Amino acid sequence: MFTRVLVANRGEIAVRVMRTCREMGVETVAVYSDADARGLHVTLADRAVRIGGAAPSDSYLSPDAILDAARATGAQAIHPGYGFLSENAEFAGACAAAGLTFIGPPPDAMAKLGSKTAARRLAEAAGVPVVPGAIPADQSEAAIAGAARRVGLPVLLKPSEGGGGIGMKAVHDGADLPAAIAQSRREAEAAFGDGTLYVERLVTRPRHIEFQILGDRYGSVVHLFDRECSIQRRHQKVLEETPSTAVTPALRDRMGAAAVALAQAAGYQNAGTVEFLVEGGGDGAAFYFLEMNARLQVEHPITEAVTGVDLVRAQLEVAAGGRLPWTQAALAQSGHAIEVRICAEDPRQNFLPQAGRLALYREPSMPGVRVDSGVVEGAEVSVHYDSLLAKLIVRGETREAARLRARHALGQFPILGIRTNVPLLARLLTHPRFVAGDLDTHFLETEAVSLLPEPGEPSADGLAVAEALGYGPAAEHGGTSAADPWSSLKRIRG
Amino acid sequence: MADGAASVTVTPLGAGRFLVERDGRQRLAHAVRANGAAWVFLDGEITVVGPASSSRGRTGPDDEGSLSAPMPATVVAVAVQPGQRVAAGDVLIRLEAMKMELPVRSPRDATVIAIKCREGELVQAGVPLLELDEA
Repeated sequence: MFTRVLVANRGEIAVRVMRTCREMGVETVAVYSDADARGLHVTLADRAVRIGGAAPSDSYLSPDAILDAARATGAQAIHPGYGFLSENAEFAGACAAAGLTFIGPPPDAMAKLGSKTAARRLAEAAGVPVVPGAIPADQSEAAIAGAARRVGLPVLLKPSEGGGGIGMKAVHDGADLPAAIAQSRREAEAAFGDGTLYVERLVTRPRHIEFQILGDRYGSVVHLFDRECSIQRRHQKVLEETPSTAVTPALRDRMGAAAVALAQAAGYQNAGTVEFLVEGGGDGAAFYFLEMNARLQVEHPITEAVTGVDLVRAQLEVAAGGRLPWTQAALAQSGHAIEVRICAEDPRQNFLPQAGRLALYREPSMPGVRVDSGVVEGAEVSVHYDSLLAKLIVRGETREAARLRARHALGQFPILGIRTNVPLLARLLTHPRFVAGDLDTHFLETEAVSLLPEPGEPSADGLAVAEALGYGPAAEHGGTSAADPWSSLKRIRG
Repeated sequence: MADGAASVTVTPLGAGRFLVERDGRQRLAHAVRANGAAWVFLDGEITVVGPASSSRGRTGPDDEGSLSAPMPATVVAVAVQPGQRVAAGDVLIRLEAMKMELPVRSPRDATVIAIKCREGELVQAGVPLLELDEA
């Protein structure tokens, strides 16, 4: 095993990786930008190295700065977390060239899977079903529009590189193709430096269901079952759960086998996720390969909650040359787990990200609840990085027990000083369609009206507490004019 | 609402915790003063009383015809030029913050008077980005 690992990330995932390292007696090295000098991940590491300015390109996206930090601290391996350089095959290769172990898949497997078009061909060759579509060799607007018409509208335009939903556009009307192609290409070029696009048939009311896989360097690959990730906003996941209410045991076996076959075809090692779209239900539901994420996922804790494994520990073990710690037959799902992503954003302002100081931040603590976070009370949420503050993960014996536990825990998770999506998540967990497990990837758009708080009546108890702090309409505080006692209320019930 | 308030007792417990008692039923609230407002958390719901920070940051015509940044952001693209006619809903400027693209759209049919930002510039919340002629 390694004696010292550098974690090339920030926020909650850096903290989470370091926790396992410390349990294993592995020393940790944090890297940080100027914006994160007092970040939680820095304070929890054994050593910390400043790698540059606040902009990601000056720090967390700078391979040279990170490799220098690894050399300077004598780290033997680099855990990339997710995002940033985690799926950058060149960086993985540069680690190897510098004599460092990259805790992730080999660069060639990453390169094959990082390009969605190459991954699609690989899936087809491995007998894994894919969504009907086309990769136009001619990347002119006219050729892409032509391909879209041949595939048949509605279509989904997707950048060949990258992920996270960036640059993806659904097009229902042929007249919208030129503008959508231009926007998709521009976003892809800005985010990934490559504007290559492809076209897929838009699957209507699909579910997004993924399989966790793990491989070692001896060719063994296992899957760790499904995660239902249909609750998304602009292709960003908001809530994940496992097992999926749509996956029957027979379907789970078929999808798991397809995920393993794809990973083996790619020569995959370490942790990864195979994403599928699922259409229909029951044993005969259709599933299509979407993409493979060559890294640890944000939502990996729900898999840990129902399988009892520590995926980061397994990542370190196989990266250090160990064999897979389990056979497929030894793995089982037990109970039900739900994760909600708590983000600094205002759902009532079209999810506008919010930066600022966390004036009050208290995590819940109760049985069956885990919080993975990268912040503490008093921390500044920076404008430079994504808005994920914390993940609330719960496990229950049944889906209903997990759902009630998640709702209760959210009610014990006060975050004040900047807007968050906590109120939206609380409503989501009690929405009749969510309670019934009736999900698809359009759920949040379709149900937005019932999930967003009505701007009308403020909470009487909330106002009473505000009054105790000296805010509000009470005349004895000499506050507001008699004509409109509510004139000081600007934003009510978040 | 007003007569309901009469039967409520709020007891500060310290460290931002408050016990709210109404008709014999207790609830634990968390509350803090921040950005000139009172922020209250009660069982997953948030009440903000006072000028909350994010209301000032709303993208829209502030005074007269100027459009401002809703939050600190990088200007990714300026899609219009001075003198250009634009329609309601047209994207005028694209901002990026916290990995999200934030389009600044025209609130109405108008003519662009002046551009007050550059591509690549980091702008602060509330800073005017662009001026439209008066409605």
